[in-house]
Amino acid sequence: MRRQFLSITGLAFGLFLAAAPALAHHSFAAEYDRSKPIKFTGKVTKVEWMNPHVYFYVDVKDEATGQVINYACEGGAPNGLYRNGWRKDSLKAGDSVTVDGWRAKDGSNTVNAGSVVLPDGKKVFAGSADDGGPGARP
Amino acid sequence: MNLTALVFAVALASQSGTTNPPDLTGFWNNQYTPNLAQALGHEPPYTSYGAERWKNVDTKDDPTGMCLPVGPSRAFTAPMPFQVVQGPTMVAFLFEYQTIYRMVYIDKKHPPDIMDYPEFMGHSIGHWEGDTLVIDTVGINERSWLDTAGHEHSGQLHLIERIQKLDNDHLKYTVTYDDPMFFTQPWSITRTFTRGKPTDRIMAYSCEENNKDVEHLRSNKKTEQ
Repeated sequence: MRRQFLSITGLAFGLFLAAAPALAHHSFAAEYDRSKPIKFTGKVTKVEWMNPHVYFYVDVKDEATGQVINYACEGGAPNGLYRNGWRKDSLKAGDSVTVDGWRAKDGSNTVNAGSVVLPDGKKVFAGSADDGGPGARP
Repeated sequence: MNLTALVFAVALASQSGTTNPPDLTGFWNNQYTPNLAQALGHEPPYTSYGAERWKNVDTKDDPTGMCLPVGPSRAFTAPMPFQVVQGPTMVAFLFEYQTIYRMVYIDKKHPPDIMDYPEFMGHSIGHWEGDTLVIDTVGINERSWLDTAGHEHSGQLHLIERIQKLDNDHLKYTVTYDDPMFFTQPWSITRTFTRGKPTDRIMAYSCEENNKDVEHLRSNKKTEQ
């Protein structure tokens, strides 16, 4: 019980510390639900290096059902990512990634990617200042 | 030239603001400010109408979410850079965000019919006060928002912006929002623009290129939370 309490507290604290993604052209809360964090690991199927935000798609297998879900993940604006050193091939189809983010409010498999981590621990393409996105602090 | 003539010439030049204004030319980074109330320290001084609009604003309706132009002051508080092109009769701001521009006509007047023909970025005139460019903007289309948080304005919005060159790498930006429909008195915030690296360049931006977000936007009214 105590352990459960600690882990919930830790989760809440972690969420509190999580950097708010830099979405210039619409409010984060108009599309995503901060109370629905999501984390998964899967294979990148496609990368769209386009404005106003990069999108990449990740196939994730549900171990329980065997069903594969293709998540559409939104990242930062490509120009800001470019200035922070990312290139359109920093993330490629076939790469395995772990994504930490928030689900869309509309129930679709759309996710705001707070952090994107390659198997070697390198972070790529993310929407928040902490992850090399277009640095965005009020 | 005798002394009287020299004094007269200097006074005239000073009056018209043409005495060596600082050069603002270059690539500058904004200080991202998604919520103006955070920069102000509290909510702006709303009229009852303004308070009602703020209470009921729905951020899914953000005009920039639909790729509409960002509006004059929000272009300076977005997380994207701009380029200044400066001449004696005009200072132009070329914003990466939405590939949009503002032209500030130096020592000119607003067109007499500007309020009948509002523009998304408004109409801007300017003059130099020493090291500071003072910009006066009216005729701003009321469909633009002041920030991402959803602060709105009316067609009566009058912006006064002061851009002061602090040193080679920093500009002090003070913007005053005067809108009698929304606010009981003018209010101001101050931000800092930072010069970009020599390798920085304004890059292409087409909001319509892949605006997938728009189909996922959902109601986000404060009153429904």
